Amino acid sequence: MIELKIDNQTIETQDGDTVLTAALRHGIDIPHFCFHPCLSIAGNCRICLVQVNGRPKLMPACNLPITPGMEIETNSEPVRAARRAVMQFITLNHPVDCGICDKAGECRLQDYQVKYGDEPFAIEPKHHKPKFYDLSSRIVLDDERCILCSRCVRFTREISGTAQLGIVERGSHSRVERLDGKTFDDPYSDNVTDICPVGALLRRDFLYKSRVWYLEPVRSVCTSCARGCSINVWKRTHHWRVRSLGEEKNRMVYRITPFDNPEINGPWICNKGFDLPTFMSRPRVLRPAIHGAAASIDDIIEETKRLLSQAKKPAALVSAHASNEELAAFKDTLGDKVVVYTRQDNSPEPGDVIEDSILIRADKNPNSAGVTALFEPKAFNPSAGHDLILVWGEGVAFSSLGAATIIHLTSFEAPQEKTADIVIPISTFFEKSGSFTNFEGKRNCFKKVFEKPELVQHIGQLFGRLSA
Amino acid sequence: MSEKIFFNFTVTADSHKLEPYRERGGYKALETALKTLQPIDVEKEVMASGLRGRGGAGFPTGSKWSFVNKKAPVVYLCCNADEGEPGTFKDRWIFEYNSHQLIEGMLLAAYALNVRNAFIYIRGEFDLSFRRLMEAMGEAYNAGYIGENILGSGFSCDIRVMQGGGAYVCGEESSLYTSIEGFKGYPRNKPPFPAIQGLYNAPTVVNNVETLANVPWIINNGAKAFTAMGTEKHPGTKIFCVSGHVKKPGLYELPLGYPLKQLIYENCGGILNDKQLKAVIPGGSSSPILPAKDVETANLDAECLGTFRTMLGSGGVIVIAEGVCMVRLLQVLSRFYAHESCGQCTPCREGTAWMNDIISRIVAGKGVKGDMESLERITKGIMGNTVCALGDAAAMPVINIITKFREEFDYYIEHGRSMNDGRLEI
Repeated sequence: MIELKIDNQTIETQDGDTVLTAALRHGIDIPHFCFHPCLSIAGNCRICLVQVNGRPKLMPACNLPITPGMEIETNSEPVRAARRAVMQFITLNHPVDCGICDKAGECRLQDYQVKYGDEPFAIEPKHHKPKFYDLSSRIVLDDERCILCSRCVRFTREISGTAQLGIVERGSHSRVERLDGKTFDDPYSDNVTDICPVGALLRRDFLYKSRVWYLEPVRSVCTSCARGCSINVWKRTHHWRVRSLGEEKNRMVYRITPFDNPEINGPWICNKGFDLPTFMSRPRVLRPAIHGAAASIDDIIEETKRLLSQAKKPAALVSAHASNEELAAFKDTLGDKVVVYTRQDNSPEPGDVIEDSILIRADKNPNSAGVTALFEPKAFNPSAGHDLILVWGEGVAFSSLGAATIIHLTSFEAPQEKTADIVIPISTFFEKSGSFTNFEGKRNCFKKVFEKPELVQHIGQLFGRLSA
Repeated sequence: MSEKIFFNFTVTADSHKLEPYRERGGYKALETALKTLQPIDVEKEVMASGLRGRGGAGFPTGSKWSFVNKKAPVVYLCCNADEGEPGTFKDRWIFEYNSHQLIEGMLLAAYALNVRNAFIYIRGEFDLSFRRLMEAMGEAYNAGYIGENILGSGFSCDIRVMQGGGAYVCGEESSLYTSIEGFKGYPRNKPPFPAIQGLYNAPTVVNNVETLANVPWIINNGAKAFTAMGTEKHPGTKIFCVSGHVKKPGLYELPLGYPLKQLIYENCGGILNDKQLKAVIPGGSSSPILPAKDVETANLDAECLGTFRTMLGSGGVIVIAEGVCMVRLLQVLSRFYAHESCGQCTPCREGTAWMNDIISRIVAGKGVKGDMESLERITKGIMGNTVCALGDAAAMPVINIITKFREEFDYYIEHGRSMNDGRLEI
């Protein structure tokens, strides 16, 4: 342990820390743009300059190893003057188009300008750089807003390992650009929009969709693979759900951002995670149906119960997208009445990254580990002679199930050669709370984002009613 | 006249070759050191000589060497030959006419520092220098002065030559070795200092060409003879590169502490057309300017120039005669720094370009009131806040020239034209 003083506050911290990490850990705010805890230290934004032991030469806190007895001043006059100067340099050629910038409201540049900046200093003419320049079909770069903190460059070099971004040119002409090959098809590319401290790197699919202060995050779990990364799902805040926007915009996932969970994913997720809203906005099954005809839920439950009790050899195909709680409810209620088969709902699609050493796993289902913890892994056997099959989830071709009666519990519509005898719509993970167990056996909880549609059933309650 | 370390032979068509160099006593120091001295003795000798870096900062070379852990598995030596400072052209002469002296100096330094691989980072624009250096390297390899088991002593050292890509910032030590590593020449944050973690994360010493080329002389003649020249705190001789409005510009090797006035009026024959002296930039474009009245008493050593709040720098003396427009002169300097800023850290990247914008605007006759205050503000924002010294080097001439020649700037802004228009008849 090393003791040092920051702003006359004695703090104890471990060896190997820098002044900035020690200060942040103890709740002392030192402004920083280029520093990111998971990336190497660049020390190029110069906003974190602090005074050490009263010496006139300021040092960047991010690159300053702590030594015992150090006395750091983060708010002395020279420090404030340096911050004012740096803010001025950064904002010098900044277009100040916060009015049309998606980052406005969560932009460090705005925060620091209010907190540490001086009076704005207008220069004529400003130097212009490329604006709204496509780096890929997903990412838009605005060089005028870029402060060249090199976070995105370091991300592609140190985390995703593709090294597809770099800073080209020199001096004030420097700009972020795709390097050799001019592609930015990194499977983790969208993270750069999340770590960009200003509005330079933006996501095409969120561009101009909403001001961020209308939105609120809900902590959730990504269902794209067995990693189960923690994510924030951004929806409209309750009091900004305006009727004139229409049902669709009020009930919409605006964007997904990573939730920093050091145990599972750190501050990153893959592009599949960012694309979760697209995955979840596929056509839904919203009404229960018997042989394709709509029916009331009570009728359906009666019919299902009747079929279940009459069946000689019923089976169930369990979903790997089900939460641990739902699986437990199923085991308690129907588990010993039917033969349980495990399976995978989703398999890699063409063009997907199958597996890598960063986050992406080959198993594209969030809760395979939760399923195998409760049920013995057993693949469906078509020759076992089942006369009734309860299909829970997606990804089963009914034509492969033989002549058995099919009861389908699903959230999404999928084209099938054969219609199920009974279809019961169930809620998605956006519409309920629960937990998934990832491939390492770590449980990760998700919260409800939206209310479920009226006729859609929570599957836990449904099993209770079926077994009653 | 005192003894000379560099200009002690007559340049002929062959004088840069190995044989003439050996006839002048070349590689004797290396032989002596390898056969009779321990590495620590070489370091001690250099330490005792008080040799200070000739590249600009004037850091004592002996102490720089002593910071390095010689027991480290790998230690690197880099010779900084990226001579980019405007007004400086001394290293070029050494390469063109006496590359062997540098090679011998590097080998001695390598021996003292336990270096197996040494690098010469030579400026990309140097063509003849590069060819002469490669020629000399070939001769030295063939003669067994470089390579395995040098002169049968068991000490081995290879020297590699890297050509720069033309970036001024690569003359900064950390960007120099970043460039050697193959990356874009961005300076690195310190700490870690190069003596702890430099090239390829190994302890590294970066020395200027002239500094290293002094070492053989020190070993041959002893530290005492070296300290006898120059001043007490800044011993030895230095090559001064005189350019500008003098009758005889060129390279002058003089003991440190030599009076600046004598250099200009005696050695260089005075100002062109016998004009009045206006100012002198004493140590390359980054050093603060000396107005004519200070030139009277200034001596060319770090301490004396320090009292005038300027520095010896690389020894690039730029003489400016009366009639020169300081606004335009500053524009030339600011354009250089704006062009050469690497763009890594904010104050330098934005500040140098901004200063250049303002000064160019003044030169274009569109200066406005308040421009001087802006320039002062910008220089304050840059100085001391950047990763490397380029920011300071860019801001220092600006703040100095605008304070010392304020009336010219005010005149230019007010009238939209220079105070000195048409008076420069040289």
